[in-house]
Amino acid sequence: MGKRLLWSLVLSSALAATWADAAEKTAIQVMHQGDPGFVAAYGKVAERFEAANPDVDVQFIYAPHDAYNEKFSAAVMAKQLPDVMELDAPFLANYVWSGYLQPIKPLIDKDVLDDMTESNIAQGTYPIDKDLYAIGLTDSSVVLYGNKKYLEAIGARIPKSVDDAWTRAEFETYLEKLSKLDGVKWPIDTFRGYGIKTEWITYAYGPILQSAGCDLIDRKAWKSEGTLDSDACVDALAMMQKWVKNGWVVPQSAGTNQFYAEGNPAALALGGHWVYAEAVAAMKDNLVVLPLPKFGAKSVSPNGTWIWAITKTSKHPDIAAKFISFLLKDKEYRAYVASQSGYPGLKSFAAESPLYADGGPMAIAFEQASKTAVARPPHPAYPTITSAFMQAVDEVFNGGDPREALTTAAKKIDQDIEDNDGYPPFDDEQ
Amino acid sequence: MAMQQSTSSRSARITLRRDKGRLMQEAAMLAPAIILLTVFLIVPFLLSFWTAMTNQPLVPRPTPVRFVWFNNFIRTFQDDLFWTALWNVSRFTFWIIPAQCGLAFATALLLHQKLPFRNLLRGMFFLPAITSMVVVCVIWGTLFQYPTGPFNQILGFLSGGAIQPIDWLGDPEWAMFSIVLLSAWQAYGFQMIVYLAGLQGIPDELYDAAKIDGANAFRRFWHVTMPGLRPTHVFVLVITTIQAFKLYTQVAILTQGGPKSSTETVVHYMVRAGFEEQKMGYASAVSVILFVIVLIIALIQRQLLRRFDV
Repeated sequence: MGKRLLWSLVLSSALAATWADAAEKTAIQVMHQGDPGFVAAYGKVAERFEAANPDVDVQFIYAPHDAYNEKFSAAVMAKQLPDVMELDAPFLANYVWSGYLQPIKPLIDKDVLDDMTESNIAQGTYPIDKDLYAIGLTDSSVVLYGNKKYLEAIGARIPKSVDDAWTRAEFETYLEKLSKLDGVKWPIDTFRGYGIKTEWITYAYGPILQSAGCDLIDRKAWKSEGTLDSDACVDALAMMQKWVKNGWVVPQSAGTNQFYAEGNPAALALGGHWVYAEAVAAMKDNLVVLPLPKFGAKSVSPNGTWIWAITKTSKHPDIAAKFISFLLKDKEYRAYVASQSGYPGLKSFAAESPLYADGGPMAIAFEQASKTAVARPPHPAYPTITSAFMQAVDEVFNGGDPREALTTAAKKIDQDIEDNDGYPPFDDEQ
Repeated sequence: MAMQQSTSSRSARITLRRDKGRLMQEAAMLAPAIILLTVFLIVPFLLSFWTAMTNQPLVPRPTPVRFVWFNNFIRTFQDDLFWTALWNVSRFTFWIIPAQCGLAFATALLLHQKLPFRNLLRGMFFLPAITSMVVVCVIWGTLFQYPTGPFNQILGFLSGGAIQPIDWLGDPEWAMFSIVLLSAWQAYGFQMIVYLAGLQGIPDELYDAAKIDGANAFRRFWHVTMPGLRPTHVFVLVITTIQAFKLYTQVAILTQGGPKSSTETVVHYMVRAGFEEQKMGYASAVSVILFVIVLIIALIQRQLLRRFDV
């Protein structure tokens, strides 16, 4: 009995000591998304950060990818914004306009800022005040992956750089030839399996529209009617509808990978740079990386990824920034990101990634960043822009009329802008 | 009639005077329910009606919140997608009522017999109803997989390859039907329990009397069981309809309203407007409309069934 009492005393005093310890520490909260690998990596970075800064306690708030913006809205409503938050670059304008984020230039280590690539700066910059609000280790892109065996079988030309990308005619001829080739079940996987509610649709299919010579919204007048429902966009979406109708595209319900799946049922893949690691593991030398085709005068690729920002309500912006700088410089974290074929957003990180260097297997993806990348519209109405566009694509891919679908989407976008009085000051940026 | 009324009101007055203390007691007992209903039902409804007439965004914004009168309602009625959603939910309801209630009724009749392990079986049949819909959806999502999912393999095997794989969730023609299948399977346990309770409420004497009168099993079912279950039928019908109109989880997890808006439902449409596009005022308008629609349907059902002397 006496022994038990003693033990409980020891335990409770130990507990009290931990509490006292926790009370002295400054806590910063970090809201993030990511697959289990990344979540584990963040946890380890935090441990190292806490070891280097014993008075800081880093607390993570995980929000799953698919419902991230909804969860973020809930945090805003509950006035429980974290100090540091990860955000998807195209939503930055909305967050800054709504007043949630603070400029981070004065807070982040200067050597990290100087290290940023142009496209990384672009994705974190708010177009109105041209200030930097978020930063990341990485950026992103989409390329056309090809199965070398199949491409050689149909005698396809293999482009060596962005400049000699396939034209629309070439691309469609190849799709047709591939559809008749033995072993090919679907000529192309456009990763429809990511679903119709994720950013994937706007991110990966938007550039096809832009390549064809139109856009989701006019980026000067900030009006969608006349742009998204223009002939060029209608034609581009009708072209994609034809691929689907012909059975050339892996259907949504077949899952997220038919390209490097066993037996390689899909010959081409319109996939993110993150697909590379798994694809090369499965396909070895049989994998070729091609630039995105020119559906009109030029090839267009997407950019932008999940980047780190500091909220306006943060009580410890200096510590928050210290954590972000620490994260971006952390060697083991960088090694992990590199192993996931992370797309460099810092020059020093690019130097560490032979994958993206000249002559590297993903060099074309990195070449696209400077030559063909077009950011998604940096406008506070972006949540509606992307939602309306996804709706239209789903409609069209399942047999709907492209013009009708795009007209509806354009109307919806303009209506949202009107409802918010033009999102001043965006409305006087003519 | 008049006489009767005045007597009863007089007696009520007498009771009232005699038991003032008791009235207070009753009020005190009612108070928690009334307060809870007010706080969680009446006030939120009034608030959402109020919000529906503004351009309230989900999260605070720099632009002012304005009163827009009935604009949100008008806009909802002008949106084709809303009508598609309403049509889809109606379609769903039309299918799910016979499927789910029929299944529940049949199982309840079966499990009302004196079978061995009756309670164990009841528990087993009730199990899906208490399993989280999210879990059920994830599992069925795998079963539905195209082209190699178990359902397609079974169909292919049974038909000797004559039936081509069906894209259960990816084909606009099939998606809603697939969701009906899954929903009926997941939720019929609840209706089954209600039916079982109803069956147990029918006095055995009625069956005995029917037997003595020479009624066969079918006649006993038709003339004793069915009339005895009338209130249960009404309850099940109304509850199932209301549940059906709230269809959301299955759609949110499996199809996100697609393909080609064939599984878009009113609640999913509302959540999309409110949380993705951050238009709280608009979403509130949709919720008010949904409330009114469900209310009207419930009232009509009640009236119709009252006519059949329930």
